Amino acid sequence: MNITNDNEFKAALAGLSVAQQRKVATTFVENVLPLCSDTRVATVITIAKRDDVTDLELDAAYQLANTVRVESFCNCGQEIDWQIQTTHFIARAAMDCAKPATEQTNLAWDAATDVRIARTCHGITSGEPNEQQREAENQYRILAEFIN
Amino acid sequence: MSAGLERAIHVLKEVIDTPIASYLNSCVHCGLCAEACLFHTETGNPRYAPIYKLEPLRRVYRQEYTLVGRISRALGLSKPITDDDLAQWQELVYDTCTMCGRCSLVCPMGIDLVYMIRRLREGMAIAGHAPQGVIEATKRTIATGSPMGVRLPALKVQIAHIQLETGLDVPLDKVGAEYMLVLSSMEIINFPEFMVSIAKIMLRAGKTWTLCSEAFEATNSGVQIGVSDIARLIVSRIVQGAEKLKVKTVISPECGHAFTALRWEGPNLIGRPYTFKVQHILEVLDEFCSQGLLKLKPPEKDRYTFHDPCQIVRMGGVLEPQRNLIKLLVADYVPMPNTGKYNWCCGGGGGVSANEDTKELRLIAFKRKKTQLEATKSKRLITACANCRVNLEEGIEYYRMDTTLFSLTELVADNLLN
Repeated sequence: MNITNDNEFKAALAGLSVAQQRKVATTFVENVLPLCSDTRVATVITIAKRDDVTDLELDAAYQLANTVRVESFCNCGQEIDWQIQTTHFIARAAMDCAKPATEQTNLAWDAATDVRIARTCHGITSGEPNEQQREAENQYRILAEFIN
Repeated sequence: MSAGLERAIHVLKEVIDTPIASYLNSCVHCGLCAEACLFHTETGNPRYAPIYKLEPLRRVYRQEYTLVGRISRALGLSKPITDDDLAQWQELVYDTCTMCGRCSLVCPMGIDLVYMIRRLREGMAIAGHAPQGVIEATKRTIATGSPMGVRLPALKVQIAHIQLETGLDVPLDKVGAEYMLVLSSMEIINFPEFMVSIAKIMLRAGKTWTLCSEAFEATNSGVQIGVSDIARLIVSRIVQGAEKLKVKTVISPECGHAFTALRWEGPNLIGRPYTFKVQHILEVLDEFCSQGLLKLKPPEKDRYTFHDPCQIVRMGGVLEPQRNLIKLLVADYVPMPNTGKYNWCCGGGGGVSANEDTKELRLIAFKRKKTQLEATKSKRLITACANCRVNLEEGIEYYRMDTTLFSLTELVADNLLN
């Protein structure tokens, strides 16, 4: 399977089961973990990607990711630190990996878009203008490999 | 007397106008303002009573403008204001006051305590007695237009991200658009989905809109720090941008002080009426819905409640639009106790959240909001202010509450009928 745009990408993700979506979502997040300054996010991903993860464990992982997300908010009037913002959105993506889901939820798409925002934030500091587009292409490749 | 103190006292003398003189003479020491202030009620600290926060102003007034006060001063019977006093009062004036206006609302004598806090902050800022975080935010605003240092390239990157992700157009500098949206840096940084929501809504409503590259920032830190010149500068940028783009309406986003500054204080600050209308985003959404331009999905069945942002509701007068929208979105809406204009503040406005020393106090003050939320037995909370959102999230997380927070604008966008 070859995925070349977001319409194909989103449709392919929607065709996966919730468990499969979690799996591929964690791979999206793992791709940007080196940009994350909080090690707790890696713990969340380790939990969420397990095949035998229980609902209780997912809930705990979700809460942990939420803690990182809230702690990394930039408060009104504080100077923006784009590195912390990158971590903030990676934490959001990690939450997507662990959140309760039904067959109607496209949690992998949510995780993918949060990862892309994280890349966008990182791109502001790195000066790389096309990080987001490259990340989208990475995600197409990851998903295609997963499905194949 | 230091040069800074001399300047501060001079400014305080200058800011004491007829209303302030009248207010200071009217106080009957009933304590109602204290019972309306969440910093006082949740800590029990009598120093946090709103009228006590104004003590330096009262002492300057008494010593400079009353016969008894002047005589006392001449005889050495009254205590002059010192640098130490202003240093101590910095905490009271900046850390424990969000300028939410609840004290002003309940005062039986009609005293506008918020007005006096603003003027006192002006004097203290000139004397150098303002929190470093707030000073830095104001410097960044003057230099970059944004208190958080968000510059145009960063905004353009977010716009590009949105366009790539969603295919939606986010226009920039479109001359002749009907609406110009200003954003708080909080939305650009923390909640990029807000801009996505606006793009969806405007497309569905068939309205033209634009951002302005020279005036995209809504937040007015001049109002927060109490410096009118800076408040004027920030409003002027928006006015110039709107007039250059020939827009009919400027939309103030989900940001508290932005609305009161732009909608209510702006014309007085710049000395003339606007050539355009200013509306809060909630007013715009309510209009679109009532005109049939936006069709929403059937109301959700889960229970929701709403946090009325102080600057938009109590101080800004936007009370009904959000209720109209919530009725369309939600079948089971339970208002908080003291809903509407009597709502309790989230504890983070007025520059408090920009102040690095206030985190612990804000979390203590949040207990009042927690009590309100628990009374509704709702796990879903809606609000319409980006600053409130962050403060509410911090409180919800700290107290491990099982509550999910939503932006009203984003809820409208997410519930548009396909």
